[in-house]
This record gives sequence, structure tokens and C-alpha cells, in this order.
Amino acid sequence: MSSVSGRYAIVGVGTSRFGKLQGVSTMGFTLEASKRAIEDAGIGRDAIDGVLVMMPAIMGEQHGWAARVAGYLGLEPTFSATMDLGGATACGSVQTAMAAIDAGYCTAVLCCFATQNWPQGVAMQLFGSEFQVPYGDVGALTLMGHIKRRQMHEHGYTEAQYGQIAVTWRAHARDNPEAQMQKPMTLEQYLASRWVVEPLRLFDCCPNTDGGGACIVTSLERARDLKQKPARILGAGQTHATEIIHPNGRDPERLSGSRAADQVYAMAGVQPADVDCAQLYDAFTPRVMHDLVAYGFCAPGEAGAFVEAGQVTHGGSLPCNTAGGLISEGHLSGFGHIREAVRQVRGTAAARQVPDCELCLVTGYGGAPHEAPPTVSYSALLLGRD
Amino acid sequence: MFGAIEKPLPRPSEDSAPFWEAALRGELRMQRCGGCGHVRFPPSLLCPRCLSEAAEWVALSGRGTVYSWVVVHQSQHPAFNPDAPYNVVIIQLDEGPRLHGNLVGTPNQEIHIGMPVEVVFDKVSDDTALVRWKRA
Ligand SMILES: [Zn+2]
Repeated sequence: MSSVSGRYAIVGVGTSRFGKLQGVSTMGFTLEASKRAIEDAGIGRDAIDGVLVMMPAIMGEQHGWAARVAGYLGLEPTFSATMDLGGATACGSVQTAMAAIDAGYCTAVLCCFATQNWPQGVAMQLFGSEFQVPYGDVGALTLMGHIKRRQMHEHGYTEAQYGQIAVTWRAHARDNPEAQMQKPMTLEQYLASRWVVEPLRLFDCCPNTDGGGACIVTSLERARDLKQKPARILGAGQTHATEIIHPNGRDPERLSGSRAADQVYAMAGVQPADVDCAQLYDAFTPRVMHDLVAYGFCAPGEAGAFVEAGQVTHGGSLPCNTAGGLISEGHLSGFGHIREAVRQVRGTAAARQVPDCELCLVTGYGGAPHEAPPTVSYSALLLGRD
Repeated sequence: MFGAIEKPLPRPSEDSAPFWEAALRGELRMQRCGGCGHVRFPPSLLCPRCLSEAAEWVALSGRGTVYSWVVVHQSQHPAFNPDAPYNVVIIQLDEGPRLHGNLVGTPNQEIHIGMPVEVVFDKVSDDTALVRWKRA
């Protein structure tokens, strides 16, 4: 498994305009983000012969999405797939890109995604299964409320500890001119924010974001001839579980995400203590508590105290979500996290730069957590400075 | 003004029809694997533990405990807006699986993890009964 470690790199990253933006289609955002990633890489468009696109299925878009994206970009790739791991797709697509290049199917892969939350002319899908929707259990919010409830019950995590995550990300976002959420936030404001799905507060949640993101993967040799300093892909991992509905009898302290962690660290040959900063998939604050434990930064049950001690801030032992995360930068389905991680290991994160950042972890999470069974996908990348 | 928006009801599939037919008769039934005895949920052609296709739809005790509960203040579907704030619970069934639903007859703030519950059937239309829960 370690054979591909360090032999591939992310050479370009880009996002479209993003925020509350009507008037641009899902495809439009995809193309805009892709063009910017191509420009960032300084790679010839003809050199791109692989296209991986995250399925925008949730908004009822059409089939054949990846080939469609390639067509609109004027590409005729030799490898293409529409991927459907939800928020785990960003990291998962980079992992797939490496495998496809290694297999000789292609040589440079564009990975991309976009969402227009209010598209015209397509039917909105009702999130959830027949065993949930009739009970008013619609969408991901209830699942995240349940996860927060169980974390608080099992570990005694406090409201203020979740609030500290939201407050920290907001502070980080203020050093990111592109972040959607720029207003300063205090812990008091977090604690005064309304319930969405109790015990989940408004400020535990990310904003809906219209927009897209993209990155380009190629071999390290080619990467070194391109414009930017390569971000080497040292590790990748993923795992899929149905833990909420099927108690699996595993050690309850051993979270499902731990299997993705095992893979990513083993492939990279590093330990959690070697990681300089992390971009954790944080559509909701309870996700951060989960990943801090699953990826080995805290002992089970210790994530709340870790956050409270300021360890995830700049100056802490593990600066996290340095661009503001999904919660404050905006929900770019993990492509924003990849972009920020690449900037950190390039050393171009400006005011947000983590000093001497050699190794950055990126995590992803998604799938269909609101279905029965809730099918949850975990993914991760370890990016390293070249 | 708009008329009341109807709540979405389950539209049973080939796999799930026996679950909802049983509920309409006032029974909580799930598949028990003919190969390994695993009580299977959601309904499926085969067992996720042993891949056996053999199964019978057995009546469950209808008893369990609250594994988790939330209170929806901001509904994600307009039909449920008038009900907010309302609870959504995950019930740990005595037979193993967990099932989502609503807990009725107890104020939301009295719900707690581990609370013993039993099933109730709520006939919401001529051909549909939803599975809900009450404090045991
Ligand atoms: Zn079986």
C-alpha cells in the first residue's frame, strides 16, 4: 500500500465564487472552480486526461456528470468517474486519482465538485428514508444532533467546548478574506444561539454554500516542472460504516473513522504527533470532536478538554481548520479543506500560515448519514511539503 | 393562505412492505436470519452478518430503551413545522437493532438516554400505521 506514498502531488487548487449566490448553475460553479485549479497549477489543459467529479445527486442533477464536466471543459479524458461519497468525496477522489495514474489509466486528474442549493428546473430530493422521514426526521441535522447528544452523554463534553470550536473557526475565518462568516463571535453569542435540532445550536452548523472547488493530481516528477510547489500526497485512507443503526459489537472507544486513520498514517509512515496542522471535516461541531479522537490526537473522551485548552487554535499543538472550516469559511464539501491544506504545505497561507508546516491532515465525512441504515463514509489525506 | 401540507408517508418497497403491513396490524416485525439468527434492519434480501437469504418475519417484543433523542426546533420539511418543537428518538431495541421514531406522551425535557420504552402504533391513514414509542 505504501508504494504510491509521496509519488503523487496536488499541483493546483481552486474554488469558484462561493456564498449565497443564485444565478450560477451547479455546472457553472464546477467549471469556474476547475478553471481556477488549472490556472493555479499552470498545467496545459490538454495534459489533463482524468476527470473525477462528486455527484451532485442531492439536488436532482443529471446522470453522467463527470463526462459532462469534461465535455464542457473541452477535454477527452481517458479516465473518468462520478463519485458519490458525499463529503468524503474530496479526499476520496484524490486517493482514486493516485490509483488511476498508478494503474496507467491517465496522467493528470482533475477532481472537482459544486453545489447550487437552489437550482432551477430540478426536483429537490427529500433527504431520508421511509423509516425516518414520516417521523419528521429529515436531513443530516437530526443525525448530527444525535451524535452530539451521545458524545455529551458518553464523555461529558460541555456546551462551551463545542462553542469553543465554533468561536475558534470564526477567529480563523477573519484571516481569510474569502470566508463567508466574518463577524466576530464570542462564546456567549454561541451559547445564546438558537436550537436548530437540540442539542445542536445554530452556530454548531455550517452555512449552506453555493459554489464549487477543484484540485489537480499528477506525478511528483511532473509536479516539480509546474508553477507551484507540489503538495505531496503521503497518505490516503477511507472506511465506510453503518454504526448508528447496527451496533457492531466493536470496542465502543474505537470509532469508525479510526480505520481511515490507520490507513492514512500507515501509508505515510507517520504518527499523529508528527502532524503540524489539520483540516477536519466540520459541517457540524460534533464532527470535530469525533475526528480529534479517531485520528489519534486525543484519547477517547479527551477531545472536549483538548479544544478547551486552545490546542486547535493557532499557537496550539494542532492548529485546525485554519481557513475557518466549513462552519465559517463555507461548505465546499471538503475541497476548501484541500485547498487550505495545500496552501499550508506550500507555505502560502499568508496570515493563516502555520509556521514550518510540513504535514497537514485533511479529513472527509459523508455518504448518506440520514438514510436507514445511515451509511457513513470517512476519508483522509496526509499532505506533505516537498 | 396555502392549505395544510401533507406529511410524507412511507411508500413501502418490496423489501419493506412486510414491516409496514405488520405495523398496520399492530405488530412490530423484523426479519430474523434463518442462517445465524441475526435480527435484520433495515429489511433486506440477505443477512449482513452471514449473507443468508433465509429469513422469517418475527414479532419483536416492542420493548427497548432510548439510545438518543433530539428536539427538532427548525423542521427541514414544511409539513412538520406546526409540530415544532418535536422529538426524534433512536430506540435501542431489546432484540438488537436501532430504530428511529418519535416518543409520545412524555414532555420532551423528561426524555433521557436509557429510558425504557414500548412501541405504540399510530394509524395515520387507512393503510399506514407509524411506529412510535411511549415510556414503559
Ligand atoms: Zn445471518
